[in-house]
Amino acid sequence: MAAVRLCRCRCRALLSRVRGAPRALRGLAAGPEMHFGFQSVTEEERREKIYQVFESVAKKYDVMNDSMTLGIHRVWKDILVHKMNPSPGTLLLDVAGGTGDIAFRFINYVRAVRERQLQRKLKHHQNLSWQEIFENYQEDKSDSLGDSQVVVCDINREMLKVGKQKAQHLGYSEGLSWVLGNAEELPFDDDMFDVYTIAFGIRNVTRIDLALEEAYRVLKPGGRFLCLEFSHVSNPLLSRLYDLYSFQVIPVLGEVIAGDWKSYQYLVESIRRFPPQEELKAMIEDAGFFKVDYENLNFGIVAIHSGFKL
Amino acid sequence: MAAAGAARRAGWRLWRGRAVVRCQHYAPVRALQASAVLRRVSDEHKKEPFTPSSQQQFDTHPAGHQPEQEPQGPRPSYTGQGGQESEDYESEEQLQRRILTAALEFVPEHGWTAEAIAEGAKTLGLSVAAAGMFHSDGSELILHFVSECNAKLSELLEKEQKLVQLGEAEKKPTDEFLRDAVEARLRMLIPYIEKWPQALSVLLLPRNIPSGLSLLTSMIDDIWHYAGDQSTDFNWYTRRAVLTGIYNTTELVMLQDSSPDFEDTWRFLENRVADAMNMSNTASQVQSTGEAVVQGLMGAAVTIRNLAGLNQRR
Repeated sequence: MAAVRLCRCRCRALLSRVRGAPRALRGLAAGPEMHFGFQSVTEEERREKIYQVFESVAKKYDVMNDSMTLGIHRVWKDILVHKMNPSPGTLLLDVAGGTGDIAFRFINYVRAVRERQLQRKLKHHQNLSWQEIFENYQEDKSDSLGDSQVVVCDINREMLKVGKQKAQHLGYSEGLSWVLGNAEELPFDDDMFDVYTIAFGIRNVTRIDLALEEAYRVLKPGGRFLCLEFSHVSNPLLSRLYDLYSFQVIPVLGEVIAGDWKSYQYLVESIRRFPPQEELKAMIEDAGFFKVDYENLNFGIVAIHSGFKL
Repeated sequence: MAAAGAARRAGWRLWRGRAVVRCQHYAPVRALQASAVLRRVSDEHKKEPFTPSSQQQFDTHPAGHQPEQEPQGPRPSYTGQGGQESEDYESEEQLQRRILTAALEFVPEHGWTAEAIAEGAKTLGLSVAAAGMFHSDGSELILHFVSECNAKLSELLEKEQKLVQLGEAEKKPTDEFLRDAVEARLRMLIPYIEKWPQALSVLLLPRNIPSGLSLLTSMIDDIWHYAGDQSTDFNWYTRRAVLTGIYNTTELVMLQDSSPDFEDTWRFLENRVADAMNMSNTASQVQSTGEAVVQGLMGAAVTIRNLAGLNQRR
């Protein structure tokens, strides 16, 4: 009880401090002004701060996701992969996908589709001899994913480490690759991937336009760009409730569960500073994507943007 | 850069808004970025000739018909909004049509699904993710196929009409004309007949009913127009309703027909068309019979009145 009261006092104090502070920092900033939550910092400082944020939350990242969104983030990620509707043989690049949530879902989906494909092929082969059926089994056995591959790319070593451990723990062995890389400057060649996803990561990228251009570069012609991100709620009543929840509950949860108030304060503020749906859509179109569209989930709390490299 | 971006976005929204009237398709003004895939329209012209003839018929149709459906051919480049020449690149719609056409050859194997579309995209050199542009149930593929078939039918009927006008062929009687037109149209389904029931069920989804229905009505209208129908009274509706009924029932019969070259289907079609012709005769017969009966009754009534002495006047 005392701990909760203490948290509430800290909450109010911190909020007022953070909201009042920015003016002071602005004078010191040397270099292009960026936002870090509600603070104003330079580009370099922002990158460093974000790196530190994720370094400290990496181990408790999944637990915190579950408690903050009450488990709904799993549904959002499922919807993203369903929207992608990957067929076997797809090459996916999951950027800022540190702990591998999208990658694992992708693998499950492709495995299920592949199984259905094999079953259908078997039905067609029902008039083959036993010998031929056996041979078919042999050549298909090594192919449960149908050549699909996921490359998980993240700028943060800690997040990748957690992701690799999770993969081992859950038993995902084939079709996965883990690469350390910066979304603004991907270590891949042009025209390589079928799908590029970035789930809850583009908010943390310092230069979003560079990231979008890199996405355009590494995608094959006809490739798809998918972005899952917190966005703006237009409904006023829901918006008030959402604000209340975000600023009062989430940092507290952060402190109690992960022992890290500031990181979750940053998280909530960065959501507010992120451009709304239409603006992000315009930015994606500027990068050269066609047929750009977005789908609001939960009235705009989360939005999926999609574009094609045509 | 920002101003150009804003101008492009404004042009993009304007272009989107105009897409309602299907005659006008403007290529998006993306002057500063060459598209990776959308190729120059001039390349397309060599491959797919545009058929302008089918547009004229819509003007001569009686009121009540909406000129909604056009053959899905490639559009030549139009000048942009401010009179400026727009890029010579094809629009997204044209690329989508190309993908769907390429996907048709994979339909017998994969069915009317996103997989077929993905395979089609692969043959064009695109990534399989391009199939994400379409619905996962294959609706667009089916609608594209149906409108392509309708366009082919129109071309066929147009050619026949030209031959008749030039005097090189005899004008067919109505029932034979209808029979041949419906048979020609249904024959286009033969390569896909295995998966066609799936297509029909997808066409009945609420989302697809408006487009499917308008495609069907415009095709029936086409056939009657080339059959020489110039009615402006209620006959217009009756004829189209009758032919729609004939077409739909024949299509369903075809789906479960296993005779060589679908002979049973064509015989069924012949019978239905004959029925329809008789029906119109019967209608007029019924009318004249009715009149005769009424006159007979009137005469009987007068006679009875006379016999009963009610008609006497003093």
